[in-house]
Amino acid sequence: VKRAAGDFACAGGAPEFTSDVPVGQLYFPAWERYESDIRGIIDRRYYTNHGPLVRELESRLEAFVGVRNAVTVTNGTLGLYLLALGLELEGKILIPSFTFIATAQAFLLAGVEPVFCEVDPATHHMTPETAEAALEEGVSAVCAVNLWGGSADVPGLERWARSRQLPLLFDSAHAFGVERVEGRVGRFGRAEVFSFHATKVMSATEGGCICTDDDDLAERLRNTRSNYGIRRPMPVPLTVNARMSEAQGAIALASLDDLETRRSNNRLIHDAYRSLLNVVPGVRLVEPGNVVRSNHQSVTIEIAEGEYGLSRDRLWSILRGEGVQVRRYFKPGVHRSFPFATMRPQQVEALPVTDALCERVMQLPIGATLTAADAERIAGLVSDAHLHAEALRSRA
Amino acid sequence: MTGRKAMISDLAVFGGPVTFDPPRSIGSLANPDPEKVLRYSRIFYDRRWYTNNGPVNRMLEARLAEWHGAAQCVTFASAFWGISLAIRRLALPGRREVVTPSLTYRRMGEIIASAGMIPRYCDVDPDTLAQSAETTRACVNDDTALILGAHPTIDCCDAEGLERVSVETGVPLLLDSVESAFETSKGRRVGTFGRAEAFSIHATKLVNGFEGGYIVTDDEELAEALKLMRGFGIPGEDQIVSFGINAKLNEIHAATALASLDDLPALVERNESRYRAYEALLDGLEGLSLRRFNESEQTSFKNILVRVGEELPVTRDEILAVLQAEGALARPYYSPALHAHKTWFETRFDALPVAERISREYMLMPCGDQMSLDDIATVVDLLHFIRERGGEIRSRLLERSGLEIHTGYDPVRVQRFGSPEDVP
Repeated sequence: VKRAAGDFACAGGAPEFTSDVPVGQLYFPAWERYESDIRGIIDRRYYTNHGPLVRELESRLEAFVGVRNAVTVTNGTLGLYLLALGLELEGKILIPSFTFIATAQAFLLAGVEPVFCEVDPATHHMTPETAEAALEEGVSAVCAVNLWGGSADVPGLERWARSRQLPLLFDSAHAFGVERVEGRVGRFGRAEVFSFHATKVMSATEGGCICTDDDDLAERLRNTRSNYGIRRPMPVPLTVNARMSEAQGAIALASLDDLETRRSNNRLIHDAYRSLLNVVPGVRLVEPGNVVRSNHQSVTIEIAEGEYGLSRDRLWSILRGEGVQVRRYFKPGVHRSFPFATMRPQQVEALPVTDALCERVMQLPIGATLTAADAERIAGLVSDAHLHAEALRSRA
Repeated sequence: MTGRKAMISDLAVFGGPVTFDPPRSIGSLANPDPEKVLRYSRIFYDRRWYTNNGPVNRMLEARLAEWHGAAQCVTFASAFWGISLAIRRLALPGRREVVTPSLTYRRMGEIIASAGMIPRYCDVDPDTLAQSAETTRACVNDDTALILGAHPTIDCCDAEGLERVSVETGVPLLLDSVESAFETSKGRRVGTFGRAEAFSIHATKLVNGFEGGYIVTDDEELAEALKLMRGFGIPGEDQIVSFGINAKLNEIHAATALASLDDLPALVERNESRYRAYEALLDGLEGLSLRRFNESEQTSFKNILVRVGEELPVTRDEILAVLQAEGALARPYYSPALHAHKTWFETRFDALPVAERISREYMLMPCGDQMSLDDIATVVDLLHFIRERGGEIRSRLLERSGLEIHTGYDPVRVQRFGSPEDVP
């Protein structure tokens, strides 16, 4: 506990954590499981090109999500790129600017220009209203983003997209295992893309998958991904390499086996943060919205500088000093980033809600590297920094 | 494995027993030592660092740079995306064409198109089976953004000659050196030519890293740019300074590639003994000639390439149909040539007579650690049998299908003539 401003590492005190605590799930199978998986692959001599583990993974993902097709890929970014090719998207695609840069880069790689819309300041998700406000000539599709273990207003967006006759896609990189009233995320819109990056609850080190009930689209995606794993040859604009290897497949299968344990561990940590942070003035924990069950993959807070006494950036640097590797996702907003700021100069100053969030939002650690007790210590630091805000401000 | 074929009906393509189960492919399929993979894995496992330029990836980059004698190495999730990003970076601004041989990796046109460029296919030299300085220079014009040279599967292209064309024309040279990772060209190590060279660590390549690729270069600025591009253009926290995607290599793939590199000298020795076996057994077999390695250079002896002469009573594709049905998954060599592919993206080329001819003549034979010396003898026995009974085989094949047989990388055909899981 920091009893005085001078106890903080930034003021010369001892850091709370002696080794850095990262943001990011970073779960991994037990060594014994890893070892037997690697030996199994080498025994089988089947390393990639749609091997038995990846085939098993795809069936299990289909069953888990409740979707007709799960097409695994090298990573989530290439998943979105494949989707753009599979749908033969042209012109522009509407996406929220408050997302990881990869959402926009994947479409740009496919030659589709992102058009940015605002998000709801409370949930951080795009809405039918923000979509409608940003719609412009040439938009041929819309890709909503499910953030922070929550979900966008899916029925509302589906109704809006239908009324505009636009295909609706979801970047669900954050949303594996998330459950809505209607069922698991992964079944909505024309298709959804998950990330299995190491920082996600479901890890393949790198990896991802595209889920869709549209068999024709799924087959185009398989034909675009590689020559292997095709069920029926179909003409596609390009065939690239977006395969998942057997090593990635093995880690993903182990992640799926372990998903409930991970989710409940995350939940304990999330609960610990909530009980302590919600009483700190100027701190708002963003709850996963529109879901009956979250994956609790993220702990996202907003700092209101006036009430809290310190800016988000000041708190960020204080916590970094304490060994807490907090992150400022998403900063800068995609619309202010290379090359989109120059591609779409008319939007640089047009997204005030997104700009405000980029200055207020911060992610705290959650996942394999910490316990609920660690979360309490981190929440304690946030609380103590508020109590000593005035003194800490003058030390900035 | 079944014994020698006595009658035509003993051939699997006509309903006889299959010779190889599991099938034998053309990939090298070096099996890394699991103990070594696990030992390298411990490094990332203990640090919980599974990707994003992790410790094992950096070890691999340092090792590969040293191996090739280059200053810098950048790994990627695959050679496809490594080359695609390097094209974007190296292409002369305002120009659209990338010159590459029509006789090379079947997805090269796609790689170029994925970088937003147009492939301009050049012809190859009948002696090297690769593009030459002359065939390349003939394709350089005002719209040429990049020369993308490619080494053939046996020996090297004239990399020095391509460097000269690059200097003369001012068009940068990138080399696809996937098939020549181990080689030297005129005594100079592959990896030191042009602006940069690209390699694969796909499981079927000399260095097995599941999936992956890398680029080596002496150009530090280029290496830094490529590192940014493979990781979303993010140089450090909260900054995005260049075009980027996700093309990062994960730590398991890096660990496996390191384990494969450890055992490479022994693999090359085994490759050589397999090559010697093919060489001895095919010696004097008229109409089927082994393409020999230039042993005055360093070579991995990995690929086994055989030319099918016109004097045989069966065509190259008919031989392939018979072999593939037996589970000996020989493949046509770069066939059809890239300019003959139907694509949705634009391609440009003039007449390419040599590439067309060669794409009909050669086949790659099963190789790598999956092939014992006995397996090689069995495959060559099959070739003897096919050659002796070629006329009958041909008429029976034609009678049965009534169609010309194609054995390119058509997935439908793969399922028809072999197991759908033929190429691991």
